[in-house]
Amino acid sequence: MSSAKTVQRLFRILSMLPWVIANPGCTVREVVKRFDYSSPRQLANDLDLVFVCGLPGYGPGELMVAYIDDDEVVVELADYFSRPIRLTPPEALQLIGAGRAVLSSGAAPDALASAVEKLERMLFADVEQMLTIDLSEPPLLNELRSAVERSGVISITYTALGTGETTVRDIEPWQLQSALGNWYLTAWCRRAGAERVFRLDRIQSVEDVEGEASVERRTESVAVGYTPNAGETIATLRLGEKARWVSQYYPVDVVSDDDRGVVVRLSAYDPKVAAKLLIRLGSHVELLDGDRVSVARQELREQILSRYPEAAKS
Amino acid sequence: MQKVVERILNLLAFLLTTDRPVTAHEVRHTVAGYDRDNDEAFRRMFERDKDLLRSLGVPLATKATDAWEVETGYVVPNDEYGLLDPELDDDERVALLLARQAVLMGGTAEAFEPLLKLGGLPALASPEPFAANLALDDESIARVFEATTDRLVIAFGYRGVPRRVAPYGLVHRRGNWYVVGPEEGRDEVKAFRLDRVESDITVTTTPFLRPAGVKVSDAIPGAPWEAGGEDVEVVVLFEPELAWWAERRITDRASTETLADGGLRATIPVRNVDAFFAWMIDFADKAVIEGPQDIRSRFVDRVRGVQ
Repeated sequence: MSSAKTVQRLFRILSMLPWVIANPGCTVREVVKRFDYSSPRQLANDLDLVFVCGLPGYGPGELMVAYIDDDEVVVELADYFSRPIRLTPPEALQLIGAGRAVLSSGAAPDALASAVEKLERMLFADVEQMLTIDLSEPPLLNELRSAVERSGVISITYTALGTGETTVRDIEPWQLQSALGNWYLTAWCRRAGAERVFRLDRIQSVEDVEGEASVERRTESVAVGYTPNAGETIATLRLGEKARWVSQYYPVDVVSDDDRGVVVRLSAYDPKVAAKLLIRLGSHVELLDGDRVSVARQELREQILSRYPEAAKS
Repeated sequence: MQKVVERILNLLAFLLTTDRPVTAHEVRHTVAGYDRDNDEAFRRMFERDKDLLRSLGVPLATKATDAWEVETGYVVPNDEYGLLDPELDDDERVALLLARQAVLMGGTAEAFEPLLKLGGLPALASPEPFAANLALDDESIARVFEATTDRLVIAFGYRGVPRRVAPYGLVHRRGNWYVVGPEEGRDEVKAFRLDRVESDITVTTTPFLRPAGVKVSDAIPGAPWEAGGEDVEVVVLFEPELAWWAERRITDRASTETLADGGLRATIPVRNVDAFFAWMIDFADKAVIEGPQDIRSRFVDRVRGVQ
């Protein structure tokens, strides 16, 4: 049996016991549901196991008592397990961080604000806000959020990042995500007849449209692991010392890493996005492979430099 | 697995009820489930069990068993073991779980697990309509977070210089994580971007005092190009098509003038020129840097790939 499974089982037992001790008379159904047991049988197995454990001597007065009486869960002689294990720093960070992130997006339930406050008070005692999460709530977030919640149809005025082209399109918004400092809206785009991702700060305005969503929302995995640059590999880059941060910041595969730099494979849904990154990195990056990106870079270069007549001279 | 779980429950019960350090020898001969005949088998079992306990969050420490420090034993301090009850109600537990599910923070822990310690969950509600990715490298951020709560100075390399910093707090803004605090022996509270840290972050044993009234988020710049050294005033002309976007992003440190054609001329205080150039590139030909001249020519060089 793997040790991960052992840890999981211990984790649950050591969390379940304190709750049962603090809530005498609790039912099998309650405990099963609350601690995510797959069946009453699974809970009974854990209680049987607890029943044969205890303090040295291991006689009737030293072993814990744990059993199911009719429908009630009974635990006795286990006072030393009456408190759950303290939260580890990573666990506390996950909970408070997630709570603060959702709070900073606006429109979070009151219960979340009070939960985060209680946790912070418990962990930090005297210190005011040690952890600040600011997802920089963009304009229109609340309108879009409510459109997602009611499965509505909206019309947006949108300027594409790659082309700079501004269009008005009817969309059925599916989900909002914040990643790498930007907010994105995944939606069904009626104009394109396909799923599209829009960057929120590039949405100039939003208007409600009559009618109901016509396409079933894609719901798999709630897309939490979503990265805006996912897609096929389109470029292989060598990053110099000053561009090394790219390998930590963007979803890339590291191919090699030596004193000549880090070689990474970059994925992006649009070569123009990669082209922007390359231009930004200037001489600190070398494009080893990727024709489409190379072309996009040259186009973007010419586009920008058209505003700087002095560039043509040298 | 049954036997391992039983043995560890026995070990933990023993450690929690014994208020002195106990040696491995004592564990072996007192706690049910350990091999008393084979030294090597016992050693392996005990090592594994200690690791398991620690991964659950049990504060298992070693301490000398007597004043001469001849022998060391194991101890789980009772006041450090248990969770102080934050007294959450079920609505609050559900809100935390939903938040935890909406936010990707890295790491391997299940969203649900820390919540088990807080009393499990009574029911599930419909999920948040959004998801956030905090681009968190769990290990280093968790380490900084721990140093922040323990008030211990951390050491790391940054911009080519080794630093020792008193971490007052952690901030996530616009996709970046910052540790905020003064360098040892100085007053100025600064922000260090964690993805730009050049070495492993080590937690020292040097404690620090955190003065009251410090607001860590004040140390973080309002826009990426406002971080770092001296201000340079850069004048940019934005075309009407994207002037609205520019207006959203510049902070009130900049001064602006709307032109007759709907365009925008802005004077923007810039400290981090690289971050500013990155933003300018997003505009493609819909913006032009008018001055100062050296910033303008550096931008041209950057775009041509010669800098």
